[in-house]
Amino acid sequence: MSTPAAEHAPGLSPADGVAARARGLTKAYGSGETAVLALDSVDVDVVRGRFTAVMGPSGSGKSTLMHCLAGLDTVSAGQVWLGDTEITGLRERELTQLRRDRIGFMFQSFNLIPTLSAAENITLPMDIAGRRPDPAWLEQVIDALGLRDRLRHRPAQLSGGQQQRVACARALVSRPELIFADEPTGNLDSRAGLEVLGFLRQAVDELGQTVVMVTHDPGAAAHSDLVLFLADGRIVDEMERPTAEAVLERMKRFDGVRAAVEDTGRGTDGTGADGERRG
Amino acid sequence: MLRATLRSFLAHKGRLLLSALAVVLSVAFVAGSLIFSDTVSRTFDRLFASTAADVTVAPKDDFGSRVATGAVRTVPAALADRLARVPGAASAHAEVRADNVTVVDAQRRFLGSTTGAPTIASDWYVTDRSPVELTSGHAPRGAGEALLDADTADRKHVRIGDTLTVMAQPGTLRVRVVGIATFTTTNPGASHVYLDPRVAAAKLLGSPARATGVTVQAAPGVSDAVLKQRVVAAVGAGAYDVKTAAEHAKSSAEQLGTFLDVIKYVMLGFAGIAVLVGIFLIVNTFSMLIAQRTRELGLLRALGADRRQVRRSVLTEAVLLGLVGSTLGLAAGIGLAAGLIRLMGAFGMNLRAADMVVGRPTPVAAYVVGVGVTFVAAYLPARRAAAVSPMAALADADVAGVGRPLRTRAVVGAVVGALGVAALAGCAAASRTASAASLLGLGVVLTLVATVVAGPLLVRPVIRVLGGAFPALFGPVGRMSQRNALRNPRRTGATAAALMVGLALVGGMSVASASMSASFDQQIDRTLGADFVVQNANFIPFSEEVTDRVRGTEGVGLVVRQRFAPVALRLPDGRRVTTTASGYDPRVDDVAHVTYVGGGSAAALAPGGIGMDADFARDHGVRLGSVLPVEFPGGRRAALKVGALTDQDAAEGFGMQGGVFLGLATVERYVPGGQDTALYVNAAAGTDADRLRPRLERALNPYPQVQVRDQADYKELVHDQIAVLLYLVYALLGLAIVIAVLGVVNTLALSVVERTREIGLLRAIGLARRQLRRMIRLESVVIAVFGAVLGLALGLVWGVCTQQVLALQGMKALAVPWGTIVAVVVGSAVVGVVAALLPALRASRMNVLAAIAHE
Repeated sequence: MSTPAAEHAPGLSPADGVAARARGLTKAYGSGETAVLALDSVDVDVVRGRFTAVMGPSGSGKSTLMHCLAGLDTVSAGQVWLGDTEITGLRERELTQLRRDRIGFMFQSFNLIPTLSAAENITLPMDIAGRRPDPAWLEQVIDALGLRDRLRHRPAQLSGGQQQRVACARALVSRPELIFADEPTGNLDSRAGLEVLGFLRQAVDELGQTVVMVTHDPGAAAHSDLVLFLADGRIVDEMERPTAEAVLERMKRFDGVRAAVEDTGRGTDGTGADGERRG
Repeated sequence: MLRATLRSFLAHKGRLLLSALAVVLSVAFVAGSLIFSDTVSRTFDRLFASTAADVTVAPKDDFGSRVATGAVRTVPAALADRLARVPGAASAHAEVRADNVTVVDAQRRFLGSTTGAPTIASDWYVTDRSPVELTSGHAPRGAGEALLDADTADRKHVRIGDTLTVMAQPGTLRVRVVGIATFTTTNPGASHVYLDPRVAAAKLLGSPARATGVTVQAAPGVSDAVLKQRVVAAVGAGAYDVKTAAEHAKSSAEQLGTFLDVIKYVMLGFAGIAVLVGIFLIVNTFSMLIAQRTRELGLLRALGADRRQVRRSVLTEAVLLGLVGSTLGLAAGIGLAAGLIRLMGAFGMNLRAADMVVGRPTPVAAYVVGVGVTFVAAYLPARRAAAVSPMAALADADVAGVGRPLRTRAVVGAVVGALGVAALAGCAAASRTASAASLLGLGVVLTLVATVVAGPLLVRPVIRVLGGAFPALFGPVGRMSQRNALRNPRRTGATAAALMVGLALVGGMSVASASMSASFDQQIDRTLGADFVVQNANFIPFSEEVTDRVRGTEGVGLVVRQRFAPVALRLPDGRRVTTTASGYDPRVDDVAHVTYVGGGSAAALAPGGIGMDADFARDHGVRLGSVLPVEFPGGRRAALKVGALTDQDAAEGFGMQGGVFLGLATVERYVPGGQDTALYVNAAAGTDADRLRPRLERALNPYPQVQVRDQADYKELVHDQIAVLLYLVYALLGLAIVIAVLGVVNTLALSVVERTREIGLLRAIGLARRQLRRMIRLESVVIAVFGAVLGLALGLVWGVCTQQVLALQGMKALAVPWGTIVAVVVGSAVVGVVAALLPALRASRMNVLAAIAHE
């Protein structure tokens, strides 16, 4: 495998390309009459060097979208590319390598291996690949995230915010083409959450990193460059340079529609989606 | 609550499966050994009861000695005529039966059993109680004909018309097989040849006027007891052993009983190992299940279940497991017994599986063991479950595998361990065998308990070392596997304990047996001076012709014969010691290097002389020149003068208390008709020993019952005999390993489930399936090797202490079989790899997304 991290040197001008792309991305669970469409022919471009947030009510398919883009889940139909690589159709082993070498992950909780120290957790993906991290870059990331005096600690000895910072460092240190963050602030208090969002923002602005974050918190989404709104498996809206208030307003409309649908007693998916699109 | 318990039992049945297997194995061995020994003893009771004559008259057996002298004890054949005239006797038969013949076929193949069962030649005398019947051919007529038993005929492919050579004490006879006799009941494994009753006594006993016993049948209406009284009155009390059918059956069964007891104890030993190791497995499983169900149990408590109910719920689950395991184990035990019965058939003992006896105690024992073991093993985990607070339901599920402090274990382990070490030290310092052996037993048990208790404390330091190279060798995968093994020391300790117990036994036994071999080697080097020893493997005497042949071989110089004789010594300290004496020809000093403390072989081997071990003599107040009253079988007595005191280390080890020896002429005089047990042969001056050997072998070709051995061969023979002990140990090891593997599989499988999210995370950030499998495999290996190292260390200590006890019996050499020990460590790593196969596969098949989402 070439060194895609090098191809994607940080600091390139933003929006100079597409980090990930999906066309007609469809994901169905079950089959026949009981089939549920989690993603319904989604087209999306994740622009390189930008901070994209994916929002939507629970069950809207936002986590599924992230899983499919990251090669964690298989798709029912459609195509997904990471950079120039079409990942739909890659084999399990190739997908594992792709995640290891070209993607960084942050999850809501249980981000770290409890038996490894913070330092070992940070370099884990590169260790697994048998590559040595660039020492200068590693030092820079550790200092940027303020983890210098926490490196020897085990996860159990770290606070929630510190744990997420370690996860963030892990995602950054291999200079992946894309970082996926799934509700990274979901389990944190607001101060620690803000800190983590600040680091992600910094990674995009100062290091040219590409970040996709799934969240349901409008405050978190406000740190992004672009918010994609997902509902019932479709991208129904997007918002550039969002503010918390605007996002909240937009989200309220989902709730409003839902309430209206429930009021009229017509709870089918189709009507719900129509209602949103009309709104 | 019961419904919740049942639901939980069924929900976890997959995880309980391995525990159930451990229960099944333990119960199967308990039930199998009981069924087998019941079946065997029932079969033989029936055989002896149905075939014994109403009254049997035999030569007086005042010694009870089993040593093979080669002499056949006889009664006058005319006794039968006298007894036939006793009132109430219907008939009397003079029985001729030689238990120590050798039968060889035309190709000079040995027809006897290779397992040490006797070859018996007797007269062909059929009554309604005979255990055999003629199934083909005709009864033997005259000196040239014989019958052979069907089992031997089948096994050795002998047919009617074949010629056999029968070597008996008076001489060799060649006979043609004219018929096959088939056992109508069970043949205990011996080979039988039947001769014409008119010639049997002359050919087998050397005189037509002798018999080995008389069987008397009662007339109708006369009870065995009454007939016995009249027979005793007729022959005089004390002259012969007179037994009724019931008494005869009982003493026959007792003789067989010692052999069957060995099998029974071996089987129960297996059962013990299975139970012991199984307990670890069950404790571990229940502990892990309860750790996983902490929230569920907390919820039950929050909903109002009290501690007793929670505890009872877990114990009910254990009892259910025990019941299921016992039932399956009972069935497996029946299968095991059937297998053993078939195996005995391969050794010539024909038992019929159809006669299998499942006595009432068997199922009782099966359920008591199965349910009892499970209950006991689950008791502590159940108490721990009851201690779960209702808050556990509300708290976040904590990361798997947080251990509680091990302080209690440290204290108990240290105290018990100190006591155990003290006992072992005492055993090593003891000077008397009996007290040393009991201290050894105590020390073994205490140190085992201490190691099991303190095992979790040893996990950290030992695995740090064992897995120390893992990060360097296997990178992050190695690092994680080492840390995973360290994660829950209690669990790792318990899992490894199962393996440890078995390997400690193996380590101890292999050190002991290697030391025995080495001691015998030293002994042989020191004492055996002859170029060759002619004897058979089982110390069974052989006929005079062998001796003649050896003497007649060109190039043979000195031949010193050895013969055994049972003796009872009346010692100056008032004790009467029954032992086995060896009789030697003069010039024994030319074939053996004996150290004389006082006197010499000339005086000891002269007529009226005797020699013995100096230590034994000192203990009993015997001095050089003492005159001791000595009793021989058949009521013969002599006063023998002590002519030599020797320094014999290993005499006791050979089972010959006192190391008593005397002249062969003396033996011949007091135990007439004996046969030689060994010949020590030196090449004649000017003849090369290497040249002599093929000549000796050629000369002895017609006598496959004896072999020519030089010093090296002789050592090998001793090693082979010790190796039998080792095979038993290896079989125990095999069983212990099977159960230990189940334990490791169990632990890994549950750990994999517990670490589902962690595994999901690793897979998400790019750990390949192969790497994940390797991680689990390495964890398994490190646990297994930990158990092996602990077990072998313990076993080495035991072995060294055992050798100290053996040293008191003259086995002074200590040998540690390093090759075996290294092989066991390597083997345990393989065991680890095997145990990890399924859990690793399962982990690598885990769906990444499901694993991440796992709560």
